[in-house]
Amino acid sequence: MLKTRVIPCLLLRDESLVKTVQFRKFGYIGDPANTCRIFNELEVDELAFLDITASKENREPNYKILREIANECFMPLSYGGGIRSIQMAEIIFNIGFEKIILNSYPFEKPNIISELAQAFGSQSIIIAIDVKKNFFGKYETFGLSGTVNKKKKPAAWAREVQDLGAGEILLTSIDHEGTWKGFDLDLIKQVADSVSIPVIAHGGAGNIEDIGKACSKGHASAVAVGSMVVYQKQGMGVLVNFPDKNNLSKVIG
Amino acid sequence: MITIIDYGMGNTGSIVNMLKKIGVKSLITSNPEEIAKARKIILPGVGHFDRAMEKINQNSLREILDQKALQEKVPFLGICLGMQLLTKSSEEGKCPGLGWIPAKTVRFHFPQESTLKIPHMGWNLVQRSTPSPLTENFETEHRFYFVHSYHAQVEDEKYSILKTEYGYFFDSAIQKDNIFGVQFHPEKSHRFGMRLLENFARL
Amino acid sequence: MKICSRCIYDSNVPAITFDENGVCNYCKMIDDLKEQYKTGTSEGEKNLQEIVEQIKKEGKGKKYDCVVGVSGGTDSSFMIIKAVEWGLRPLAVHYDNTWNTAIATENIRKVLGKLNVDLYTHVVDNKESDDIFRSFFLANVPELDAATDLALAETLYRAAGKHDVKYILEGHSFITEGVAPLGNVYFDGAYIKNIHKQFGTMKIKTYPLMDFWSFMKWILVKKIKKIRPLWYITYSKQDARKWLEKDFGWHYYGGHHLENRMTAFNHSVYFPQKFGIDLRNLSLAASARAGFITREEALEEYKKPPYIEPELVDYFKKRLGLSDETYEKVMKGPRKTYKDYKTYKKRFELLRPMFFVLAKANLVPMSFYIKYTSKNEI
Repeated sequence: MLKTRVIPCLLLRDESLVKTVQFRKFGYIGDPANTCRIFNELEVDELAFLDITASKENREPNYKILREIANECFMPLSYGGGIRSIQMAEIIFNIGFEKIILNSYPFEKPNIISELAQAFGSQSIIIAIDVKKNFFGKYETFGLSGTVNKKKKPAAWAREVQDLGAGEILLTSIDHEGTWKGFDLDLIKQVADSVSIPVIAHGGAGNIEDIGKACSKGHASAVAVGSMVVYQKQGMGVLVNFPDKNNLSKVIG
Repeated sequence: MITIIDYGMGNTGSIVNMLKKIGVKSLITSNPEEIAKARKIILPGVGHFDRAMEKINQNSLREILDQKALQEKVPFLGICLGMQLLTKSSEEGKCPGLGWIPAKTVRFHFPQESTLKIPHMGWNLVQRSTPSPLTENFETEHRFYFVHSYHAQVEDEKYSILKTEYGYFFDSAIQKDNIFGVQFHPEKSHRFGMRLLENFARL
Repeated sequence: MKICSRCIYDSNVPAITFDENGVCNYCKMIDDLKEQYKTGTSEGEKNLQEIVEQIKKEGKGKKYDCVVGVSGGTDSSFMIIKAVEWGLRPLAVHYDNTWNTAIATENIRKVLGKLNVDLYTHVVDNKESDDIFRSFFLANVPELDAATDLALAETLYRAAGKHDVKYILEGHSFITEGVAPLGNVYFDGAYIKNIHKQFGTMKIKTYPLMDFWSFMKWILVKKIKKIRPLWYITYSKQDARKWLEKDFGWHYYGGHHLENRMTAFNHSVYFPQKFGIDLRNLSLAASARAGFITREEALEEYKKPPYIEPELVDYFKKRLGLSDETYEKVMKGPRKTYKDYKTYKKRFELLRPMFFVLAKANLVPMSFYIKYTSKNEI
């Protein structure tokens, strides 16, 4: 049967890999291509890259780095960050990435989703939804690396993008990101239960049990991990790693 | 030397990369004259069935591919959509396929109550069916990366060389004589894909 | 071409001399160190145990009592296991120059995981790291990897400073590795800063540069000591490796320092091809000198070409943005040394008496005193 995917989600800033906490506070992780090489040797199932300042800085993806990354990896790759047109998407697919991730641009132009799905197939389009809890404890969607409140409810926006042709949703809890305290299971369940496309839970994974819960309690189809795979432990040094396959299969089968 | 067909649909870069890694030279081309000299061919494919068939039927690609596969019988490997094109038809579109392998391509069909999502996306295991040189020396839990909403359905079991379970068992790899098709992406499947491509290169 | 009658160092080795029996001065240096530290004797062990007890005493009430540099390699992996065995509470420290291999990171993870030891890492910005490497390459000097060595030293000090730890344990063994000739491996902050100033293209922001005053701060003000336990006790690399593999699932990466791609390039391509020096001579000479293998076996092994990871050269060129022409020009270019650039060497020589005292107090390694403060490099 299908294995639940556990996907390291790596953040690109300029030409380096970084890690954030709640979308702030950058810590250096290392060279993108070399880190990929390590994940490749660890035989991870899939990798996702997010250029976290591309849209905010209103610039194009860094194709040079993407090429270096694609040359190192023998597993599926996704890329997100600053994608605003079919041409850009095509370049990225040709470089060797399987899927593209859009976050901010669809708020401006929702039809870009259907255009991309038509041209390349829904399965290659992932829509990233970043969520923060507001003062009253209600979930709100944000764009541009968590800086602009789009005032949409996550589940509603998820249904909208699904209808437009999105193939998957990358759901990130900004509040939990980089904190190691576990996923926001309520948020994940809310969104996963309202759509039929796969939801990738992201933000807060601290250990293998968290990964299991995201699937069993949150109904996520896949899990994206950040801090867990680039740090030795919480608060400790950078050390690229991936959970042991046997331990993983115990929690996700 | 393996010739990879570039017809504007499909990720040739990753295939070249993996072949390079296992020490096999390859050439990407859309030129019928170059294809005519090919000794082994890979047909990649990602996207819509009809669009792919249209592109193949243009530019004299169809003639040279028919000749290489059916007359000269060079080893031929279709990957993902490239495999589906080898069948007679697909529920995804209206165009007939190449029809080189007695099979058709159908959409995953699950009962109403099923929670299985389409597309079938992720890593899944394969089971050997009819023996084939392409699937030799596979590990007991050999797996590949899949991402597809449609799959092949052979007319006779002898053409099915690998099966995979997703809701039900479907044909994840098919073969007729020198022509092979794999639904998954070997070029995205680490050492598992390398093993398959090594087998193909050795034919 | 003269070869030492005891180890395998030959006339290519900088500052080498031979006595009337044909034994080289490096062999003599090692013998002197062995005598000084009573290596492998019960007295040496006793001395080490005293130091360990002292470390524990000074570390009471602190989160860690010592820091240990780890690279994923044999010596440092062995060092951290021993530290825990002796009852110390170490903080493992890693300097990541962004050229690590998966084997290195996995080895670190497995060993630290099993011992439940915390890890402190300093990761330099990859572009800065490459800019410094490129500068050294274009400078035509042997110390391609000096920046990593000095950065590790500074990182160890910073980690110790952060946690108020007074002891750094280093897994260096002069028995198994000898002492690297200064002419091949010189590094200090001025050397790095000046070469980068001349050949570099970007500002240094994340690279931990240890300039003279930082150095003085760590040893004179913070008084952080450097202990090399393997100078006191017997140590066999083969035995260490077997133990690591069996008990920790650790993997051997096939050669000294090959766990990092920059060091691998340095040792298996750059040094042999540009300087005619095969750095395997360090460990092979040491093994012969110590009698682990015969001199003939060492020479035999030395004659075989070093293992080079395929595509290593391509990776090196690509990552540093070097055209084939530039690469060839340097590889076939002049052989410069630290003497061609500004360094702190003169200053170190002037302060020789002070460093003698500091070496006796373990505030600088004795080998530093011997090599860096002497006009003869040895």
